[in-house]
Amino acid sequence: MTGQVTSEVAAEGGSRMPVGTVNVVDPHPLNWLYITWNTMEEPVRTDERGHMVGAVLEDSRWTDEKTLEVDVRRGIRFQDGEKCTAHNFKRAFDEMQRWKAPHPPGTNLNIHQETTIEIVDDYKLLIHFPQPDGLVLGKMRGMHIPSTRFWDEIGFGYKKQGSGEGHW
Amino acid sequence: MRAEPLACTWLDTRQDRTDKVVLTANHDHWNKERGPRLEKVVFHNDIPHAEALNLVCDAEGEVDIVTEVSPADAERVRSSEHARLHAIDAMRVVLGLVNRGVTDAPLDDARTRRAFNMAVDRDRMVREGFGGYAYPAAGVTPPYAGGFPGTEPYPHDPAEAKRLLAEAGWPEGRALRIATNADLEVPTNLMAEDLRDSLGIEVEVSVTPGDQMLAGQHALVEKVMPLPFDLLVFAWIDLTSDAPPAFMHGELYGETGPFRAGPPVEAFENLMGKFATEVDPDRLNELSVEIDKLVYEESLSLFLVYPQALYAVNKNVDFVGYATTFELAETEVNEKHWSRRNGG
Repeated sequence: MTGQVTSEVAAEGGSRMPVGTVNVVDPHPLNWLYITWNTMEEPVRTDERGHMVGAVLEDSRWTDEKTLEVDVRRGIRFQDGEKCTAHNFKRAFDEMQRWKAPHPPGTNLNIHQETTIEIVDDYKLLIHFPQPDGLVLGKMRGMHIPSTRFWDEIGFGYKKQGSGEGHW
Repeated sequence: MRAEPLACTWLDTRQDRTDKVVLTANHDHWNKERGPRLEKVVFHNDIPHAEALNLVCDAEGEVDIVTEVSPADAERVRSSEHARLHAIDAMRVVLGLVNRGVTDAPLDDARTRRAFNMAVDRDRMVREGFGGYAYPAAGVTPPYAGGFPGTEPYPHDPAEAKRLLAEAGWPEGRALRIATNADLEVPTNLMAEDLRDSLGIEVEVSVTPGDQMLAGQHALVEKVMPLPFDLLVFAWIDLTSDAPPAFMHGELYGETGPFRAGPPVEAFENLMGKFATEVDPDRLNELSVEIDKLVYEESLSLFLVYPQALYAVNKNVDFVGYATTFELAETEVNEKHWSRRNGG
């Protein structure tokens, strides 16, 4: 986890067609997390060697010690066709912040409860922290950005349980 | 761990899985250079691991990738007709958590902990405990991660280890109590042999049965009841390679770390406080180095190995492994793969 991510360039002109099927047996207890990383958008991800690269978060910079300016990548669509914008980023952040302990490893990975997101425009936002958080980009490794439909219809168990907390 | 401000962790009570999880390619994904390169990935949760290993080694078409291959099975995969072994340098560490909170042995004395570190032959552990698929550990941070301070593993020096233990005042007749789980029993027994032989003390090893793991985890993270071990042989991971203290050191030694065994360490807390609020990447990296050096120099754990992640993969799958995750966006299959021969 770090305060810096490497930019990942979108290859708009790529033409490789997905082909083939693989069958996997993965007993790892974090399989559920790997499934989300295989399927959901996220602010940042890691490359093969584990170094963080920007994903939905195309670039970011500290404008002062307590404000992180984020450029949201353009051209992302969710599986259901919805465009991914700064509004989806903010929704995912706000949903995560509802939880007292959103991450299984523990509250060490929480982002301060008084942190807020201000949307500048559809592809830019400001994250305001009550105190400097140099680890926030790494903490966002545990944040997933789904479409509006996900939150409205499923959530992380919200539909069935009312909360994602405490039952999975 | 603490109510105000809240500090807690999750403990799995069970993991329910559907028999299968099927992922289909998102053809509109923005990152076309990366992938997806496969049309479909099927996770089979209804096939036991041992059976899956048979299927990937001895047949084609039923299982293509098996994760978490044991070093004991590595040779079998290597010599199989249909599978290849992939060994990935992973953000994983195996170490002995030292219970610095015991009152009848000097585990709060760095000399004792250094003695443990110098009593163990890591090269033998890599060879015999991990089949060669691991690196000797010199602290928590692996050498291929950010914030590695360049330290060398503690030397295997039984004479110096014995001297340090005596200097720290290890009580006559006090046995060293080691706990672990079944997955780490082999390396734990090697470690116990080395400690016994090098230090000349009695060493007891207990392997926690699966049905008692949850209770053991509760005791460790809650830190209310005395812990029933001096050393807990334990495996931990990271989710990125950039600044390990955020996820590894903090969880293992931090004041709010679930795996801290013993009182908080003031010097560590001071460094972690600076680390958590540092927004300059270069300074953050310097602090990562300082933190790993501190835990190494204080021997806060018995540092053992950095194990590789092992995968058995069908020979017609071009597998791309990750240090911190299991993602298949870049993995692809060639024209000889069963799914393409069958028009899949």
